[in-house]
Amino acid sequence: MESGFEKLWRLGPAAFVLKAIVVAAAADALLLAFVLLRRAYRKRYFARRDARVFELRQKWEELISGQLPYNSWRKKPFDRRIVEAMVLDAFEAAGPVEAARLLKFLRTSGLIEKRIFEARNLTGWRRLRALVALGRTRAPEGIPALAEGLRDAKAETRLAALRGLARMACPQAAEEILAWVGEVGLVVPALPLQSALIQCCAERPQLLLPYVQNAVGTLREVLGRVLGEVATPSLALDLLQFVGDDLDELRAAAARALVHPQSGLALDVLNELASDPIWFVRLRAIVSLGKHSDRRAMPALLRGLTDSNRLVRLRAAEALVAAKADMAPIFSQVVASRDRYGLHAYLTAVENADLLGKLETELQESTSIEPGEKQRLHNVLRAGSLPAPDAAAPEDILKTAAALR
Amino acid sequence: MIRLLEITNHAVFWYYLASNIAYLVMLLVALRTSAMHQRHLESHGLRWIRDTPLAPPISIITPAHNEEASIRIAVGNLLQLDYPELEVIVVNDGSEDRTLEEMREEFHLRPVRAVYVAEMKSASVRGLYRSSANPRLLVVDKEPGGSKADAVNAGLNMATSPYVCIVDSDSVLERDALLRIMLPVLADPQGVVAVGGIIRVLNGSEIAKGQLRRVRLPRKSIEVIQVIEYLRAFLIGREAWGQGNMLTIISGAFGVFRTDLVRAVGGYRANAIGEDFDLVARMHRHLRQKKVDYRIHFVPDPMCWTEVPSDLKSLGRQRARWQKGLWDVLWSSRDMLFRKRYGRIGWIALPYLWLFELAAPVVEIAGLGTIVLAAALGVLSRGFFLQFLLFGYAFATVISIGSVLQEEVTYKRYNDWQDVARLVSYCFLEHFPYRQMHMVWRLRGMWQYLRGDNTWESLKRKGLESASVP
Repeated sequence: MESGFEKLWRLGPAAFVLKAIVVAAAADALLLAFVLLRRAYRKRYFARRDARVFELRQKWEELISGQLPYNSWRKKPFDRRIVEAMVLDAFEAAGPVEAARLLKFLRTSGLIEKRIFEARNLTGWRRLRALVALGRTRAPEGIPALAEGLRDAKAETRLAALRGLARMACPQAAEEILAWVGEVGLVVPALPLQSALIQCCAERPQLLLPYVQNAVGTLREVLGRVLGEVATPSLALDLLQFVGDDLDELRAAAARALVHPQSGLALDVLNELASDPIWFVRLRAIVSLGKHSDRRAMPALLRGLTDSNRLVRLRAAEALVAAKADMAPIFSQVVASRDRYGLHAYLTAVENADLLGKLETELQESTSIEPGEKQRLHNVLRAGSLPAPDAAAPEDILKTAAALR
Repeated sequence: MIRLLEITNHAVFWYYLASNIAYLVMLLVALRTSAMHQRHLESHGLRWIRDTPLAPPISIITPAHNEEASIRIAVGNLLQLDYPELEVIVVNDGSEDRTLEEMREEFHLRPVRAVYVAEMKSASVRGLYRSSANPRLLVVDKEPGGSKADAVNAGLNMATSPYVCIVDSDSVLERDALLRIMLPVLADPQGVVAVGGIIRVLNGSEIAKGQLRRVRLPRKSIEVIQVIEYLRAFLIGREAWGQGNMLTIISGAFGVFRTDLVRAVGGYRANAIGEDFDLVARMHRHLRQKKVDYRIHFVPDPMCWTEVPSDLKSLGRQRARWQKGLWDVLWSSRDMLFRKRYGRIGWIALPYLWLFELAAPVVEIAGLGTIVLAAALGVLSRGFFLQFLLFGYAFATVISIGSVLQEEVTYKRYNDWQDVARLVSYCFLEHFPYRQMHMVWRLRGMWQYLRGDNTWESLKRKGLESASVP
């Protein structure tokens, strides 16, 4: 019996090399022909398109005002595509008055209706294109068709519908998206969903609250992140319920949302969150505290400077530098903390803000710091490192922070 | 002897056929993937990434060693990139020329004392500078470390963003390159740990105000052949490997990585010859060992334009170094071969690299020798010998034209008819004698590696200034 090796041997190169040459040469020729023909076709197509765009542009006012009969271009797919593209491009760059005029044109010419029909009745790639175009029109009557697109079996189509709704940037679109995620959960990547909700919920962030309360798992995190981005001062009390939430992301969202200074309560809560065991919750709390520009935030910010996480230290330092407070006593406290990473973070922030000169001057002119201590602080500032360990104990930081109040 | 020659000739034929069929499969996969990618972009656009407050910050790290001719343009180009949250860290790796002075003058650098925690090993840092003109720019001035890896590690120590993007300082990115390369990350931030972009040949094109103004094919034959090589490697090879989540190389000239992961694997290996390949291989190892569900993507349209060698000597050195790098990494990853825990990396990607990349110059040169010998001894008929060569030639040309087609139907950067005609004609011309020379350079690289000669030989370059127009 013939062995496997012998079979392979018999099936030697000579058996098919000639055929292979013919096939390869034919493939070469076909590929070349395709490249050349495609080039020639595209050249012709673009020349024709350019000429037609120019022609239509010359009649732009008549076209938009409807003086140019709609049927003169609507029935020809080539012309219709050009007009739609031109109007949508103009729409995106238009001011409110021009946008209203263009939207009126899109409505009266029936282009929106056509896209709504396509978005509802076509499938696959055509439906996807219709959804994209519909989103670009930002016409509210397109919202139901876009919402139907969210329920398409294909992920690409769902994403196109989601982006279309995001472009609407209105509460009605937000309601549709939220109702959908409430029904089916997280079936698209988180970021496009968050991005869409941020745009659509900006006007009425309270729409999110019931969904955040009822959602579970990753979806709750995702919605919490959105809430953190869009929350307004009016939501502060509602957000307090999330401060003790089990979900790290939701505590971080609450911290992020409490950025708006409007009550002493926010500061107390943020101070508490600044000691959270999860680093990104602390980070968000520190960032929010920094934006409060309140002296009561100083102890937490100084504590943040000695945080085990590098980003928390950096953000705390930036917040301390940005705070409208005297720099000299803060620097004194930074040095007193005897944390070299904290000191470096603070000096980095000072230098990044180009405030080194200001700090030096303030140190020089400070009346609350003793001359010996002043000299020591100057030395630290110049060397960028801590002196020998004879200085204040780390706990002093809290004492002087209290004095700063 | 004759029997041996016969067996060798058969083996060479099957090897060559298998290699080309593998490339053909990759071409088909790449064409399909590119078409899908184009549709995806058409429907989603990029504007939402630019506008979203959720886009993760990126630290761009650019190592620079004696780059006085390019550094102004390169850094200016990075600062102009479209991305919402960006910091640019330039690492001056002990340059002996005016690299630092050029940056100081152009970007108004002032010394700063920032936090520098040497988590990744690198030569000591001499100073840190921030630009007064653009605070997003930070310059790390360090002692020469002798390798790009050392410089990138210093940059990694300064990076504060969750993602780092490594860009060569002799390269120019297209304005929306970061938006494009981040698309897979934004679609799946938990799963995607690294993304590679495409590298294109800058020679012959024009730069104005830090941006690519006009794309033209280079004049010299040796540069045009490299254009085809790059198209083939990126638009076919990487696209297909990326699709199967088996990408083992993200070019050192342009790639995005999750910062925590790069730190977790210890940053770049300072003594690695092919540091970019080495990093990705170690990332695969780390993630597979931890049984993490991850993806390493390739995106074909965020374009990075880089200068390629324009003389044979420099090109030969570069290719010898690449071959050394390949061997170095494959050797250090040999324990991943055919091991269950490393999945398709150990079973498909690495064996492919051993067989069809590392061994290629040896097989090809030896094969050529035995075929000629067999033909001379009459073991192989002269007719068949010619047929075999013709077949190899025609098949390899299909792959090259396929890569041009891929560029043509998707990204279409060469708009001039003349350029396309030249590009296509070089698909037919590159196989002789360039291909044989290439194999010899690669063999030389292997020989150098065996001898332990890992010295970095500098390449002759004109610098970005040569491409800039007023």
